[in-house]
Amino acid sequence: MELDVRGEICPYPMLKTVEFLKQHPGIAALTVLTDHSPALATIPWEAAKLGYEAEIETLGPAEWRIRLRKAAGAVDPRAVLSRLAHTLAQAGEGGV
Amino acid sequence: MAQGATAVAAPVGARPVVGLALVGGVLLVALLAGGVDGHLGVFWLLGVAFGVILQRSRLCFASAFRDLFLLGEGRALRAVLAGLAVATAGFWLFQQRLVPDPGLGDLPGRAHVFPVGLHTLVAGLLFGFGMVLAGGCVSGTLYRLGEGYIGSWAALGGILVGLFAAGRTWNWWWQVHISQTPLIWLPRWLGFGGALLLTLAGLAGVYLLVLWWEARGAPPLLPVRTTLTPPAFGVRDHLARLWGLLFGRGWPITSGAIALGVLNVFAYVFDHPLGVTGELATWSARLGTALGWPLPPLQGLDRLAGCNLVAEGGALLSDSFFLDAGLVVGALTAAVLAGEFRLRWPRQARRYLQSVAGGVCMGYGAGLATGCTIGAFFSAIPSLSLSGWVFGLALAGGAFLGGRVLRWLA
Repeated sequence: MELDVRGEICPYPMLKTVEFLKQHPGIAALTVLTDHSPALATIPWEAAKLGYEAEIETLGPAEWRIRLRKAAGAVDPRAVLSRLAHTLAQAGEGGV
Repeated sequence: MAQGATAVAAPVGARPVVGLALVGGVLLVALLAGGVDGHLGVFWLLGVAFGVILQRSRLCFASAFRDLFLLGEGRALRAVLAGLAVATAGFWLFQQRLVPDPGLGDLPGRAHVFPVGLHTLVAGLLFGFGMVLAGGCVSGTLYRLGEGYIGSWAALGGILVGLFAAGRTWNWWWQVHISQTPLIWLPRWLGFGGALLLTLAGLAGVYLLVLWWEARGAPPLLPVRTTLTPPAFGVRDHLARLWGLLFGRGWPITSGAIALGVLNVFAYVFDHPLGVTGELATWSARLGTALGWPLPPLQGLDRLAGCNLVAEGGALLSDSFFLDAGLVVGALTAAVLAGEFRLRWPRQARRYLQSVAGGVCMGYGAGLATGCTIGAFFSAIPSLSLSGWVFGLALAGGAFLGGRVLRWLA
């Protein structure tokens, strides 16, 4: 399934994605098209709260495809957070 | 997380030739404007840096306040608080040279110390509501123009209308209320030490409050797949990596806010703190005059600093013109270099109306407060003015109301 939110600015790309996921409970994957870069932070963040992993692909100048996939199994937020912090530290990324 | 975690590859579709031409243009304007008057050249470069910082770090004051209520998330607001702390330290040092004895009642020249009163609350509520509705505050609207957002032109039009309306009603506000309200510069009452301590403690207190607010709804967080950066060998690799850090992906928002705080100190030490609405107010007054509806002489402006409704005595090529124009061109240049420039049209007609309406609210609020999120907030708190805190509190209230209305308009 694909959701095209190009032309929308904050917070609508994220609001529409969350609304779509809630209207289709249990959907395994969703692709979101956006041309609004702040959405690259908000969509993965909010989708994660609903149990989705995100991958971002740059399609062209200011155009991105965000692939959301339902994560397998239950998630322990604390373990996931420390793993993420570790990965980011190795990549030389400060996080915040 | 966010920027660090969202792996965006090296600029796709970056147009280096256009980018270099823009950089050349920026330097040429700096030389020409600087040749006319050194001040103009410096404010042009400050404006360009302003635009680059906002574009690269996607620093949006509207989202800083809005996301607190909409998502329970305060990352952007915490970044703004860090930037305010840096700017406060710089302003504080400089003000001690301007006014060695603060107890005598002198105010530090062009610092953004504004009258505090009911009008500050009304202005903040209107501005906060409007910026959420329009999807960006005044500086946000200007940098999005540079990135190619067509909807921002509608917001800009609304801002001009709102500023004009504020100009038409200014004398009423002045006579009934603003002329009786005090200018409260904290060092006058607390000394420099007390004012710094209180401001930094206030910022730290709000920071902790935001952390507590965020923790209430701690989300289960999943990792976004990141690509590891390979090791760099030699100068070429290091330069390529540096380029990637600057234009390959967005800057961490805290770095952007701190850079903006430093830029504000530079601007203040050079001449006056950053502020973007004064110039727009001047343009709204000019347009009004051209349409046969000039503003009446505005009262009390000689007693106010900052983004007055008629800035710089109405000169066409002023500091504030070059700052605002530089902001747009800086954001455009950064967006082109990063491959992020793109003309973006809202696909629903009601989004244009939403931007205009939000802009009108923002413009009126900015006129009343003699500043926007930059002039009356990001420059006022570091000026050690009480007005910045009251305006900031009202901005949060307005953003809360705006967030409520947003959902109906989805």
